[in-house]
Amino acid sequence: MSIVANRDTRVVIQGGPAGLNAARRMSEFCYLSKAPLTVQAFVFPPDAGKINEVPYGSEIVSIPVYKTMAEAVAGHPEINTSLVYVGPDRALGAAREALNTSSIRLVSMITEGVPEKDSKLLSRIAREKGKVFNGPSAIGIISAGECRLGVIGGAFDNLILSKLYRPGSFGVITKSGGLSNEIIWICSQFADGVTTAIGIGGDAYPGSDYVTYLEMFEKDPKTHAVVIVGEMGGDLEERAADWYAAKKRRIKLMAVISGFCQEVLPKGMKFGHAGAKEGMKGEGSARHKADRLREAGAIVPATFGGLGPAIKEVYQELLSKGLVKEAPAVEPEALPKLPKTIDESRKSGEVFVEPMVKTTISDDRGEEPLYYGYAASELINQGYQIPHVIGLLWNKKLITQQEAEIIKRIIMLSADHGPAVSGALTTIIASCAGISMAQSIAAGMIMIGPRFGGAVTDAGKWFKYAVENKLSVDDFLTYMKANVGPVPGIGHRVKSVKNPDKRVKELVGYVKSLKISTPHLDFALEVEKITTAKKDTLILNVDGTIAAVLVDLGFPVESLNGFFILARTIGLIGHWIDQKQQGSRLIRLFDYLINYAAPKKKDVPPLK
Amino acid sequence: MAKVLEGPGMGLLKKWGMSVPGYLVVTSTEQFEQLASANAWLKESRLVVKAHEAIGSRMKLGLVKVDLDLDAAKRAVKEMLGRSLGGGMTISQVIVSEMIPHKEEYYISVKSTREGAELLLASVGGIEIESNWDNVKKISIPIGEVPSKNELTDLSKRAGFDKDLTPRIVEFAAKLHQCFEQEDAQYLEINPLVLRSADRELVALDAVTLLDADARFRHPDWDFSFAAEFGRPYSENERAVMEVDSKIKGSVKFIEIPGGDTALLPAGGGASVFYTDAVVALGGKPANYAEYSGDPPDWAVEVLTEKVCSLPNIQRIIVGGAIANFTNVKKTFAGIIAGFRKAKAQGKLGNVEIWVRRGGPYEKDGLAAMKTLESEGFLIHVFDRNTPLTDIVDMSLQKETAAAAAPLREKTGTAKTRSGRAREARR
Repeated sequence: MSIVANRDTRVVIQGGPAGLNAARRMSEFCYLSKAPLTVQAFVFPPDAGKINEVPYGSEIVSIPVYKTMAEAVAGHPEINTSLVYVGPDRALGAAREALNTSSIRLVSMITEGVPEKDSKLLSRIAREKGKVFNGPSAIGIISAGECRLGVIGGAFDNLILSKLYRPGSFGVITKSGGLSNEIIWICSQFADGVTTAIGIGGDAYPGSDYVTYLEMFEKDPKTHAVVIVGEMGGDLEERAADWYAAKKRRIKLMAVISGFCQEVLPKGMKFGHAGAKEGMKGEGSARHKADRLREAGAIVPATFGGLGPAIKEVYQELLSKGLVKEAPAVEPEALPKLPKTIDESRKSGEVFVEPMVKTTISDDRGEEPLYYGYAASELINQGYQIPHVIGLLWNKKLITQQEAEIIKRIIMLSADHGPAVSGALTTIIASCAGISMAQSIAAGMIMIGPRFGGAVTDAGKWFKYAVENKLSVDDFLTYMKANVGPVPGIGHRVKSVKNPDKRVKELVGYVKSLKISTPHLDFALEVEKITTAKKDTLILNVDGTIAAVLVDLGFPVESLNGFFILARTIGLIGHWIDQKQQGSRLIRLFDYLINYAAPKKKDVPPLK
Repeated sequence: MAKVLEGPGMGLLKKWGMSVPGYLVVTSTEQFEQLASANAWLKESRLVVKAHEAIGSRMKLGLVKVDLDLDAAKRAVKEMLGRSLGGGMTISQVIVSEMIPHKEEYYISVKSTREGAELLLASVGGIEIESNWDNVKKISIPIGEVPSKNELTDLSKRAGFDKDLTPRIVEFAAKLHQCFEQEDAQYLEINPLVLRSADRELVALDAVTLLDADARFRHPDWDFSFAAEFGRPYSENERAVMEVDSKIKGSVKFIEIPGGDTALLPAGGGASVFYTDAVVALGGKPANYAEYSGDPPDWAVEVLTEKVCSLPNIQRIIVGGAIANFTNVKKTFAGIIAGFRKAKAQGKLGNVEIWVRRGGPYEKDGLAAMKTLESEGFLIHVFDRNTPLTDIVDMSLQKETAAAAAPLREKTGTAKTRSGRAREARR
């Protein structure tokens, strides 16, 4: 047995992420108690129409999010309880909506910092409608083995340690959320545990107070004693004392009160809870409350530490009177276990997971990315540059300063080639059509292929083939003619021997000046001598030059197109920004730029 | 509850149509000179000059000067502004207000109650009120309602106001209640309320204004800050923690108590007070009040820890806490550990003993991390949920007794560990 929350409780949660987190905790409890999930719906206008996912054991339960309470209860007529998890500025509206929904009997609010006026208004509405309004600032309500509302009870391990999977004989009412767990734990260690534990919140005027729930506990035959945790400020503890003294009660009342320190601390000091403040004239002090409770017949240990033994004493008395029977011990194995996550199982060595991806270049699981094992910040601090990062990520080598300079020059020479070429033009057209940067650049990239910028890899591949197989230039050209076709990296649409490509001259000149071994570049230049003799435009073009130099530097053939793609991205981004800043209009080809060679208009024959 | 100083308090009464004396809040003598030439009433009335700060017993400290002409007021302003009161406190604002010639003084207040509010009224006021409390009459006003004219008229008559004055009292009371409701007040007290001889108008001469700080979100015109309620302004470290508190999910709180020997760094609004109680009960002197709750981010807890470690002359730090519901013990402890390490690096915590007890999500990881500080030269003692909540306070303050005390949990080996630890601590 229990009070307020039981196996029939069905819940709507008003709120966003915090509410969802609570639902997950509540689901853990339902799973432990072998009960169906209590949470049926969420009401949270910003997420209306979405589905929240809540794990239940190893399953996932999908729970709809509604815009209004009316929609939620229309879809789930069994809902009788609402938990409010919205912010303090929306708490009044949300709780009022819940209290005005006829099927909802209990509203519990965890929101902290709710204006006092708002809680008083909500309390009045609840009173007039005969409903229970719990909170604000209330951690929740838990009935052992039956129902959990909110995160009260803490983590899954704690639910088991505190024996919350089956009812005991003690009721708990606390203002403090943290202490509710502490008292539940003490009841489970010094006695047989709790029936129901309730956090009423630490505000000055909570919607429900000790008396609200003492009345209910008095009528619950399974509850034999109730522990309340009070604190200085307000008169709720005095009201509980008055209730207990008013007539003979079936339940035993036990209490601990905090705030004795106020007698020696500076006046006017604020403590943790909004309601924990001094009364006007001594009333509301911890001493006053403790005395009143003792006078009323309640058991009030002198300190918090005295509570455990006092609970034990009460429990022994209940046992000896035969009012309760020792709860049978539950073997931990008999309790459902929360499924472990893959990560937890891996760490404890229970499962082996075949990796899906293997990487050999980088790792960012630590404080910063490692590029082939080198920390990015250390590379920066030691003066390494972008070409070195390229070397590490594309070729797993920390290249020399000289090699880095060559790569830098390759990128600088290839960064852009004006708006007329396929890549840039496509990016410009996309930009003018209002397409975003990433897509416009990608459109330009798509142009990179055999006819535009994409010959570097193929050029490198065949020059490498020739050098590796020690082919003479003649044998190479014969082989290419017979098996491949035109030599990649040779030939240009406009440039020629008489009109040389300045970029090629520049790069070749620089590389040759370094006095390094460049067998592939040398071979390519030999090829050019023969091909230009045949035709003026069959020069070693920029793709071929770059390819030969990079192969000489030891870069793998697969990486070669990457240099052009990387370099040209700089230009494409520039063209996109340029068009954006100009506010360019949509590009549409003029009719005179198109040769309409399609058939003239004809009559459409009837459909057969 | 949040206290508002006289200036803004008077402003709220004025906003809701109640008469108040002319007043000015000034921060420099130059400013007062300029305002004096712009406001005729300063030359025409007798004046009161008061320090406009959250400090108790201003009268005793000579921070209230009455019945002054403008020149005397200027001298008083000059004398008070910038005056140091010790403890790093300086007077930065004074309020100059008009004296209202009157014959009789009355009392009126509205206070928050569980059901709504109570309106209290008496036809005596000023310092007389304390000895005439029996003459204070009151009515209850349920939340969401306004007192009727009949109710107020009846109250006025019961309080002893005559036929002539009653309509004015009724009107004033209605406005005061309206101000109370609309401004989310928790306490409004006007004492004395006086009848201005010149025009027989009711004027609020002095007011205590407590507002609901939680309602600030719906009062964009609350352009004032709240005053500390313990008779001194907030310290720099307290303000720093309040600043952090206003930015985060969850909360961190910190108030200094000068002269203490025991620093407190407990979790939870409820448990923190039990820890403070335990320190006081054993004759310890708390050096502060603090708490963190609602799963605050680790950096916020780290800031709080640094402030706690900066408290002067502390002998021990109590890092207590109940079994948390959802506060991540591992993460919040990471903040505390970082704060401790920083403090140690700055040469603090030399002989300070640290006592830890905690439970909750990731408690094992959190406590294990805390325990590693032992090997870093911290005098730290770490306990888990099996040690009752406030036993660490007993052990730290009364080591012999704690070691001898009967174990609270008999079945486990905790008792042994505890006395063992206590002995270790004694060495």
